Amino acid sequence: MSLKAQLKKDFSTLTLALMAVAIVLNIVLGQVVSLLKLPIFLDSIGTVLVALLAGPWAGALTGLLTNLIWGLISDPVAAAFAPVALVIGLVAGLCAKARLFRQWWQAIISGAIITVALSIIAIPVRVYMFGGVTGSGADFLVAYLLATGRDLFSAVLITVITNNLIDKVATALLAWAIVKGLPKRFTARFSRASAVTG
Amino acid sequence: MVSHFGIFLPGCSRLHRLHPLTKLTFTLAAVIIVFGGPGKWFSALVPGLIALAILASAGLARIGLRITLRILVPLALMLLFVHGLFSPVNQNFILQLAIFKVGREGVLYAVLVILRLTAALFSSLVLVLSTHPAHLVQALEEAGLSPRFAYLFGSPLLLIPQLSGRIQSIRAAQQARGLEIQGNLLRRVKALFPLVAPLAFSALVDVEERALALEVRGFSAPHTKTYLNALQDSSWQRLLRWGMLALAVGLLAKRFVWA
Repeated sequence: MSLKAQLKKDFSTLTLALMAVAIVLNIVLGQVVSLLKLPIFLDSIGTVLVALLAGPWAGALTGLLTNLIWGLISDPVAAAFAPVALVIGLVAGLCAKARLFRQWWQAIISGAIITVALSIIAIPVRVYMFGGVTGSGADFLVAYLLATGRDLFSAVLITVITNNLIDKVATALLAWAIVKGLPKRFTARFSRASAVTG
Repeated sequence: MVSHFGIFLPGCSRLHRLHPLTKLTFTLAAVIIVFGGPGKWFSALVPGLIALAILASAGLARIGLRITLRILVPLALMLLFVHGLFSPVNQNFILQLAIFKVGREGVLYAVLVILRLTAALFSSLVLVLSTHPAHLVQALEEAGLSPRFAYLFGSPLLLIPQLSGRIQSIRAAQQARGLEIQGNLLRRVKALFPLVAPLAFSALVDVEERALALEVRGFSAPHTKTYLNALQDSSWQRLLRWGMLALAVGLLAKRFVWA
């Protein structure tokens, strides 16, 4: 199949409607996490859902747009991390394509792969734009690592990985469970979903 | 329909009446110059002051400062703490706090980052505070963005309040069935799936209906669409947009190509 035909298939009206809903899920699910006071963000579950159902490109676009919209309506800082969200969708879709989302334990591995991939983008943004700091409790870890003699880059690397690992594994597991729980007649309409369900 | 949305503040100042693309170009150019321009302090200070002056001229300086403080105060404190006390580049120490020594280089670096972030935030607020998201989407569409992507930008804005309300009813329903959302960590983790899944399932099952509704209304029809409200553009704004872009690219080149 040519690239153009593949893109057309990947971005059908059904997929676009899915992506719009997923963007909203990304934004509102943060409320559930703060309700339960859990130490995760869960702000990319919609992105991973789209990646599983409609492929890496649709996933990447969902992540990118989530952060741009977030930046537009509440916190411009979120827009700076839009490339990170893009990578999450892209890599989740590639993991699904490589059949790494068929069992729950594979979802855990995929969560770890997503974490490593997003660090590659997140670390330069954090170090060069934000001086390695986020304004949250995680910054004490950066301070501690600097005090033990590490440079800023590796201090941020360790902080980003430990912070994101639990979150992205939880996100991958939840997304996997949701796709498995969706009715067959729904997932059958997304050609990419068979890599997860079939 | 132009409703109150996000942190956008309706108004009728000159800034509000500018074409959304002009404001978007200003924000992009300013952010590029702040982070990529030559001369660290100067590149951060000038766009930041210009953005603040624009905000003030539209009567948005107070709210802009308030939002900036809310976002940046925790970041600024942490920057000063992390770099002032622990930066590996610290050579000269200016202050002794108990067992910690405050380094001059770290503090200067922290202040530079704070200044850059403030300038970038002011520049973003010029766009965000004065532009209704729907108008920005319309402007992008008129400039040639595919209407399919314009939908992706616009539709979530209307959906957020709807799904946000649904979370509250799901929580109430699950609690009525005995779900505990307080207690130790394990109990709270267990409550995650029963709260997330119903929202995700119900939202996803709506997707098919939304897609059908779009198709029935000619969403994928290849014709050019018309708009209810026309956006005002002018030749001087077009010129200004190209000028700002050229300036940003020029300064970027000055730092990285001819440096």
